[in-house]
Order: sequence, then C-alpha cells, then structure tokens
Amino acid sequence: MPASKPFDTANIPGPKMAMIAKTKAVAAMIKKAKRPLLVVGPDLTDEMFERVLKFVEKGVQVVATGTAIKRFVEAGVADGVKYAVLHELTNFLLDPDWPGFDGKGNYDVVLFMGTIYYHGSQMMAAIKNFAPHIRAIAIDRYYHPNALQSFPDLWKKEDEYIKLLDEVLDAL
Amino acid sequence: MVYELKKGAFVVDELKNVSIRIGDIVEEEEEWALMGPTPMPGIADLRDWDFFLLKRYKPFYAPYCDMCCLCTMGKCDLTGNKRGACGIDLAAQTGRIVTIACAIGVSAHCGHARHMMHDIEHIFGDSSEIPVDFGPEIDVVAPLTELITGMRPKTVADFKKVLDYCEEQIVQVVDSIHTGQEGSYLDYESKALHLGMIDSLSKEVADIIQMCAFGFPKGEDNQPFIDIGMGVLDHNKAIVLVIGHHAPPATNIADYIEENGLEDEVDLAGICCTANDMTRYYQKAKIAAALSRQLKVVRAGLADVIVIDEQCIRADILYHAGKLGIPVICTNEKAMHGLRDMTKEDPKDIIKYVLDGAPGVVVLDPLKVGEVAVTIARERRKKRGDKIEPKLSDEEFMNYVKSCTQCGNCTYACPQGIRIGEAMEAAENGDRSKLERYWDICIACGRCEQVCPKGIPIIDVLNYAAWNLIINEKGKIRRARGPVRDTEIREVGAPIVLGTIPGIIAPIGCGNYPNGTEEVYTIVREFASRNYIVTLTGCMAFDAALYKNEEGLSVFEEFHDRFDAGGVINIGSCVSNAHIHGAAIKVARIFAMRNIRANYEEIADYILNRVGACGVAWGAMSQKAASIATGFNRLGVPAVVGPHGSKYRRAFLGQPYRDEDWQMYDLRRGEEIRVEPAPQDLLVAAETLEEAIPLMAKLCFRPADTDRGRSIKLTHYIDLSLKYLGRLPDDWHLFVRTESDLPLAKKEELLKILEDEHGWKIDWKKKKILEGPIRGYDAAFNPTNVKRIFEQGPLPIGGGE
Repeated sequence: MPASKPFDTANIPGPKMAMIAKTKAVAAMIKKAKRPLLVVGPDLTDEMFERVLKFVEKGVQVVATGTAIKRFVEAGVADGVKYAVLHELTNFLLDPDWPGFDGKGNYDVVLFMGTIYYHGSQMMAAIKNFAPHIRAIAIDRYYHPNALQSFPDLWKKEDEYIKLLDEVLDAL
Repeated sequence: MVYELKKGAFVVDELKNVSIRIGDIVEEEEEWALMGPTPMPGIADLRDWDFFLLKRYKPFYAPYCDMCCLCTMGKCDLTGNKRGACGIDLAAQTGRIVTIACAIGVSAHCGHARHMMHDIEHIFGDSSEIPVDFGPEIDVVAPLTELITGMRPKTVADFKKVLDYCEEQIVQVVDSIHTGQEGSYLDYESKALHLGMIDSLSKEVADIIQMCAFGFPKGEDNQPFIDIGMGVLDHNKAIVLVIGHHAPPATNIADYIEENGLEDEVDLAGICCTANDMTRYYQKAKIAAALSRQLKVVRAGLADVIVIDEQCIRADILYHAGKLGIPVICTNEKAMHGLRDMTKEDPKDIIKYVLDGAPGVVVLDPLKVGEVAVTIARERRKKRGDKIEPKLSDEEFMNYVKSCTQCGNCTYACPQGIRIGEAMEAAENGDRSKLERYWDICIACGRCEQVCPKGIPIIDVLNYAAWNLIINEKGKIRRARGPVRDTEIREVGAPIVLGTIPGIIAPIGCGNYPNGTEEVYTIVREFASRNYIVTLTGCMAFDAALYKNEEGLSVFEEFHDRFDAGGVINIGSCVSNAHIHGAAIKVARIFAMRNIRANYEEIADYILNRVGACGVAWGAMSQKAASIATGFNRLGVPAVVGPHGSKYRRAFLGQPYRDEDWQMYDLRRGEEIRVEPAPQDLLVAAETLEEAIPLMAKLCFRPADTDRGRSIKLTHYIDLSLKYLGRLPDDWHLFVRTESDLPLAKKEELLKILEDEHGWKIDWKKKKILEGPIRGYDAAFNPTNVKRIFEQGPLPIGGGE
C-alpha cells in the first residue's frame, strides 16, 4: 500500500514506494547534504513560487524546468537560477561523473516541486532505480511514490501543503 | 510450341510419376546500383551502428513498473536494478518492455501492409499488374525499400518479398523477448532499433501499395483543401463515420456513394488515419476529428453508423455507440468486438440484421461494406430529426453539475489531472467557461466517469458545455500528398545540408497532448513562419488544422505545401511517415549522390551528421508511436515527445560534457575530432510547449552545418528561447565554432558574453574568436561516425548510374 494516494490513482510502481516526508527530516537532509538541488517545474502556484524564492535565499541551488524559468525571469530573480530540460537534467543526475551546474560535481539530495506530475514521477523512477548516489525528495502538493520520501497528497489542501513548505524553510 | 514457364506444378505425359514444380521465377535484376553491404539485414547486421548510437545517446530508463510479471517464477521485484528469478535486471527488463512496445507497433504497421496487399488483390486482382510508378518527378520511388532490402520494386506484387522479410524480422525479435533469451539492455535496444527500422519499411510498403492501387496523389503539391472538424458534418445527410487506419472499406463506401449518386444524401467522415487516407481517394469525404476526440464524437451522437477497421479504435466503442443506438460495423479481423460475422451473407440480410436492432456486425469483405454501411446510415437518418442537439438537456446538465460532491475521484483518474470538480462548481454558479476550456484538454479517455460516485456522464457534460465549440469547429486541411518528389529534393537538398533552410520539423503521431490541441497549431505556425519545412502526418496534421490566424486561415491555407522553406505539408496517414524518412534518404541519394542500395549504416550516418530534421510527437500515445520514433532514431533523426512520452520508459539522451561520446572522423583531414553535441538527443520529452519549441530548434543543429547555416539555426534557437523561455539558452555557446556562426544582429553582444561568461578570447578589433570553441570551423569538414567509411570512403554508386 502506498503511504498516501498517488495523484494518478494507478501510479503504483512496485514494492518500494516513498515514505511520507517529515518536514524536520527534510530540512535535516538538506542541511547535511553536500550538494542539494531543488528542481522546480511549471506546475506552481504563486504561494509555492514565494517559497521557492526563500529556498534560493537559503542558498539552495535551484534549477527551473519547463516554463518555470519564465516566472523567475519575469520576477527579476533569475540570477543564479539555472534552467534545464527535466529529461536531460535527470539523465545528467544519473551520471555520478556529471560536473553539475558549477563544475563542482553531481548533487546528492534532489528535491522536486512543481514538475508535471506524471513526467516528474518518471524522472524520480529513474533516480530511484538507477542513481544510488542520489536521494530524491518530493516536496510537492502530490504524493510521489517514486521518490525516496514525499509529502503526502495535499493538492486539495493547499494551506496544509504551504505550511509544510514553511516548516522546512524555518528549519533550514 | 513455346511454353512460358510460370510459378506452379506441371506433369509431362511421357514421363510417368514425374512432376515438375517451379517456385519463384527470379528475373535478372537490372544492375541499377552496386549492392551495399547489408541487403535485408538481420538482427545483428546493423548492431555496430546501434552500439555507436547507444554510446552517444545512452538509453535513459524511467521504469513505469519496477516489477516483472511475465513468467510463473515471478512476480519479481527489480527495484534498484535488481535481477529477477530468470536473471534479468531492471535495465534489461525495461529494454525488453521497450522492445515489446516496438514489436507491437511494427506488427500493427506490417500487419496493416500485409492486409492491404490481400485487400488490393481481392479488389483489383493480380497485384503484379499494378505498376509502381509515381511519375516523371520521382525516380526513387521506394527509398526505404532500396536502402534496407536493396530491391527496387516495379509492381505492387514485388513488395510481397519485402513483407516476407519484415515478418521474419519481427518474429525473430519477438523470439528474443521470451524468458531466458537476451540479457543485455544494449542488445534489447539494438533489437528495438531494428524493429523501428522494420516499422519504417512496413509503412513504406503499406502506403506505396495503397497509393498505386487506389490512385492516391503521388507527391503533387498544391493539394485541395478538405473540411475538418466536428462542426463540418452535414446533419441533413446520413452520416457514415469511419474510424481506424485501413482505408479499403472506406473506399468502397465512397464508391457506393458515387456509383449511386448519393453525394447529396450521405456524408462520409472519419476519425484517425482512415479519414486521412479516405480523403486521398474521395475528395468529398470529411475529417471529423483526430484520435483524442473519438469518444467526444461518438458520444455527441454525430454518426448514423460507425464503421471501424483497425488500430486506435476505442475498445469500448460498442458500449458507447450502443448507448446511443448507433450500429458498429467491424471490417477487420483484428477488431471484431464479439459481433456476429456475416461476411459471407447477402448484404441485404446483413442490413436487415442490423436494422432489426443488432448492436453491430462483422463484414470482412471490403467490397460489401459500402452497400451495408450506406444503407444502414440512410435508414437511420430517416428516423432522426435534421438538427443535431447535445445529448443532455439544460436541466440535466445543471442537475449533474450540482450533484458533484467535489470528491476529486475524477481528477485522480484523469491522465491530465484536470480539476473537473472545480469546473463543475463554476458551472453550478453560472460559469461554464472552465468546462469549455477543459473540453479540449480532455483526451476523452472516460476514466473519470467510471469512478464518479454520482454517475455523472462527464464526457456528456463537457460536450454540453462546449457545444458551441463543437458545432463551430470547422477547419481546413490539405489533402495528403504522399511522398516528397526527387525534383523538390534537388532544389532543397543543398540548403538543408548547408543549414540555410534551418530544418525539417515533422509533427507526427497521436493526440495525447498535455494541454490541448492548440499547441500543435502553435508549433506548426512558429516553425513554418521561420522557413523551416514542416511535414505533418496522422493526428497532429488534423489538430493543426483546427485553428486559424488573424485572417481566418488555417496553417494549411496560410502556407504552401511544397517541400521547401516555409512549407506546411500534409504528408498523409501514419504509414505515410515513411515518406519523411524517404525525404531524408533522398537528400543523401540525390543531393550527395550517395549509393543508398542496401547501405543503411552509411546513409543513417549521413542523415545524423547533415540533415537537420527533428520529429515531434507531442501527443505520442501508442506502441506504433514508439516504433515510429525508434525507426526515425535509427536513421539518425531525433524526436521530441510531450511529457506523457516519458511513460515510454526509455529515452536516448546525450551527455555533452563527455568528450569521448562526441568524437567523429573527418574524412578530409583523416583524423578524429571532438564535435559539438549536434544533435544532443535522439529522443527526449519536453515538459511544456514553451520548452519543446526551442528544444526542437536545438535538435536541428548538425556537425556539417556551414557557418551561414549554423548562424541561421543559432538565430532561431536563441530567438525561440528568448520568446518562449524569456532568456538565452545556457548552452548556445557549445554550437559556436567561429564568429561567423553567430547571429549577425547579435554578434557583438554574444561575443561579449563569450568573453565575460565563458572565458573565450576575442580579438575585438577584428571581432574574431581566438580561443574557446569546442572546435574551429572548417568549411570542408567531411564527418562520419563509421570507421569503415573513414577508412574506405563512401560506397560507390556503380551499376548503371
């Protein structure tokens, strides 16, 4: 049984599905990570975007995928935010030798938020099965069974979801 | 007395107990070109080429399921790339699943082609009497057949040998899928690529033989316009709706209408590729919709009778049609839906059986379908009114939207995650615009209806809300023209290879779009207006035609349909995709004078290095789309798919930072050289339209681009990134070899960025790049990835050429 309801009901990949992420544990993982990365996709509300900017302020490397980069550009906060095609980015992440965006190496904790649900789920499936060097954490509104840890299904409870993001940010 | 020996057996009276059997008569074939190294290649014959591709474009696996459930030793948990009971690990298992998908896809096309051959012989008689001739402007009639088999067919019957070959290859690869066979993911991918190639060949056979037998257009441009859209059906007439991919039954319906003078009484319309092919035969036919509208059309009750053949037909077509009392006629043994087979019975008895209330019938003889379908439609037409109305009344609609409990089950079930409940709530409060907007995004899969605790017929609710859109959906599409003419290739071969025509964009495939049909129009218009050549097939061709510019013109009316800069061409149905492969092969043959006969590796290498083409299957859904894309990939043509495409589990993605993956041979200098990542990927999913468009432009770069061509391509890549993503791409500098590669209008600005952000050395007086690029520009660069070609040179043409 999945720990929460996947946003696509039939998205049951197999015996290993994400544990529910606790906010303090997520913050601890980010803090302990040598190279954390936050992947931000286009399925993003204004409130989510505000929190993403706080992750940027806290020094977490953010990469925008899909159309998400336009939000950063339009808000005038694109400096330091990278852009990548999510499929290509995930392919790089699978390679332990990828030099990363700054030439300093691959990332060890990768957070996902706002990706097109089903596409993001596939990318996390790739990491789960073929990137033992990476821990994928979904801090999205949806439960992502292919992540190592995921927030529960909260797309109908936006306030609760935003509270979780704030708790992570407060603990960073 | 002279006897002409033919295939068969005979006895000689004087020779007791002796009979003589003659098999195939092999005529000495005209030596039209030197036979290449791989006529009718088997699984292993092009493996080196595949392994080159797979080294540069590594299979990227995103399993959809972490288990294997294919034998009784399982289920096996393969999570984390574990091995199952048979020893297969998750990477190989995923490669195996991809191979299975391609096997299904190629079987559909090859089965279709074989079925077409049978139908042609049934309808027209001896297929050896039907010449393969596309007129004076097309000499290379069957480029894939020449390239893969080394044959040059003269008659439709000649293609039987090609089909024999295809069928054997499919069976051999499917054999390898059995438990206890292949264990390497790379070899599974090589097999999938092999099936992709066979898929392209099968499609060529299917389309060429139907073009020759049924007299479809043979590459002529300036094709007439065909009405398209759910609003173009004339409800004053009886409406026959055909669905599928195999057109012979539909041609018989057209014949019956014409022979009986029923054009003013009967409208013939279609969904999916049968519709496309039917209009190649009968210009008065209409196209109702692409695949993603199938359930919307059926549930709107737009048809008096539905005729199905094969592929992409809803498995529950009988259920939905039956609810509205619409009979379904199954014309193909691949989809008979449990109905009674009355093929051998008199058409009048078949008609009576259906009109007496049967939900449908099987009629496998295409020559009987016309009378049966048209008569049933006309009889049913007499019993309904002239006006077409929504299936719900206003009161029913309001009751349904009010009954929604906002449970969200529909959204969880929806492949797009559409917030249907929110739209229901808005409609309850008098705002139907959300439902109307979602109508187009919805692919009408019907999963939502099955989980609604209130039993709301959500498709009917959407159809009701969007009724104005439905009845006013009236577009124009060009009739499909089929192949690209050799004469056109002579004109555009050089600009394509030099890069001054920035690319060929091929929107193809199904309608499982992430965000509705309008995105297809945007893609087509954006690239056509930038002088790319846009070649469309299948559902994407249909959906592109549904929208209009400010002057009220569809993209097919706004742009010409020549294979030239700024062309928007309806090539045809799914099987017509072969002509897009064919155009790329012809560039090698006609422009570069390469020998294409049984010379797959060399020509694929040529295309990968020089022909800036990129497919886009924005709504790829089916296994056929998997085999189609894989066939393009083996030939060196990259493809972009929509975000649903990552569910195919495998992509081919490059890693531009790995020097060893981007080494090429330069025939001119006789040395290896590190080149830019052009193209970076062979198969990649984009998340949004705004991401896909610049990505397609990027995938049109080729190592052999001239500086002028590269400058044009770079201009579009940068412009499109700025337009759709609001910023310069991060990797544009990778494609700069010299200052003349830079877009003229931005040259100084970009030189400054190269100096400041990438540390390149610039001579500002001369505005020259001194240091920085991956490699310098060499106008005589003559690239190949194939060591044999590097050492021995291209295969000479030889023969009679």
